[in-house]
Amino acid sequence: MTQYLIMCRSLTKAQSSARLLESAGITASVVKAPQELSGAGCGYALSLYRRFEEAVELLKKNKLLNGKLYSRSGGEGYTEVRG
Amino acid sequence: MIYLDNAATTLPKPLSVERAVCRAMQSMASPGRGAHPPAMRAAETLFQCRCAAAELFHVSEPERVVFTMNATHALNIAIRSKVRRGTRVLISGFEHNSVTRPLAELGAEIRVAGRRLFDRENTLREFGREIPGAELVVCTHVSNVFGYILPIDEIAEMCRKNKVPLIIDASQSAGVLDLDFQRLGAAFAAMPGHKALLGPQGTGILLCGEEGLPLMQGGSGSDSIPQHMPEYLPDRLEAGTHNTTGIAGLLAGIEFVREKGTENIRKHERALLERMVRELENDKVRLFTAGEALQSGVLSLTVNGKSCEDVADCLSKRGVCVRSGLHCAPTAHRSAGTLETGTIRFSFSPFVTEAQVINACGILREIIFKES
Repeated sequence: MTQYLIMCRSLTKAQSSARLLESAGITASVVKAPQELSGAGCGYALSLYRRFEEAVELLKKNKLLNGKLYSRSGGEGYTEVRG
Repeated sequence: MIYLDNAATTLPKPLSVERAVCRAMQSMASPGRGAHPPAMRAAETLFQCRCAAAELFHVSEPERVVFTMNATHALNIAIRSKVRRGTRVLISGFEHNSVTRPLAELGAEIRVAGRRLFDRENTLREFGREIPGAELVVCTHVSNVFGYILPIDEIAEMCRKNKVPLIIDASQSAGVLDLDFQRLGAAFAAMPGHKALLGPQGTGILLCGEEGLPLMQGGSGSDSIPQHMPEYLPDRLEAGTHNTTGIAGLLAGIEFVREKGTENIRKHERALLERMVRELENDKVRLFTAGEALQSGVLSLTVNGKSCEDVADCLSKRGVCVRSGLHCAPTAHRSAGTLETGTIRFSFSPFVTEAQVINACGILREIIFKES
C-alpha cells in the first residue's frame, strides 16, 4: 500500500488541512515529518493512503497546499511526487 | 462569599473548565513537539481552542489566533511590533497600564483622545481630529474601571480610512460584547482568557491581522535549524511550551460563552448593574453610570466621606469581594477626575445572581449609614 505525505508549513496548518479533508470524507492524519524531508528541521505533514490526488486538489483550491508531496511503497524510501 | 470582582478574574468558573484542566493535566504533554498520543492530544486541544476563538471573534483562520500568558503579554507583543522611539501613538483616555507602560518604555509620542467619560460624541470627535496625525492607535474596547464602551466600530473605520493601524485592548469586552475582528480590520486585538472568556489565569489570546514581531525567542517545535523564529503564525509568536492545561480550560470557557451567547451574558450583567444602581441611589454614593449602549457590567462608585479602601475592606470582612483603588488605570481615573480617590469597582459574571447583588447592596448600605 502506498503512503502519501503532504508536507505542511506548520502544525496548525497541518491541522487545518486535516480538518478540511475530513469534511470532504478524506482520512488524513497529522504526523511528524521525517527529518530528511523537512528542510528547516522539525515539521509536520499529512499522511494518507487513499484519495491522494483529490486531497491535493482540495488543498490547492483552499490555498492550504504549501509544501512538497512524497510517496512511499513498502520498505522503500520517499519519492517526491508532483502535485 | 459574594464575588463581584469579575473584571479582574471571573470566579467561579464553569465546571466544564475545571474538568478540562484536570483532564489535560492528566493526559496531555507538549503540543507541537512529539507525535505520540499525549502530545497530539495537546496539539488537538490547542487547535480546537484556536478554531473556537476564531469563530467567536470572526478571525479568517485559526493560525491568526496566538496564545499568550494574558492580555498584557498579548498587548506587549502587539505594541512592540508597531512602536519605535518617537512613534506617534494615539490612545483613548481610558487605557490600562498594560498599554501605557509599554508605550512609555518604548519612548512613543503619546497623545490622548476622548477623556470625557460616557461621552461617545466627544470621543469620536477627538479621535476624528487626531487619527490623521497618528502612526498607530491603541484603544480599549471597554474601560476596566468604568465599563465605558468605546465606539470601537467607528474608531476602527476612521483608522481604516486613514490607513492607521489599530490595536484593540479587548480585555473587558471579549466574551460579553461582539467583536468582529475581520470587519474591524485591526492589526491586533488582545484579550485575557481568565476574565469573561471564563478560562484559567495564565491564558490570553492575541488576534493577529498581521505577522507581528516575536517578543521572545526559543523553541517552537517547527523549523528548528534556522536561528530565528519561524516567519509564520502562530509559531512565530509562541516560543516555548504552551500552557496546555490552561488552554484546555480556556477552550471549555469559550465553549460555555458560545453556548450561552455573548448577548445573553451582556444582558444578564447589565441587568445586575441596573439593579445595583437602583439599590444604591442616594446622596452618599456617587455612581458612575450610563445607558446600556455606553456601559457594560462594570460599575464604579465612591462613597462621600469614606476612603474606597476602607469601604472595600469592610465589604471584604462581610464576605463581599470587590476591588478598590486605581485598577492599574491611572489614565482612566485622570480622565474621570478620580485619580485622588480611586473608586470601588463592582463587576459581574454569568454566575452572579440578583439575590447576591441585593445582599451586597444591603451590606454596603449598612457600611455607609450605620458604621459611619
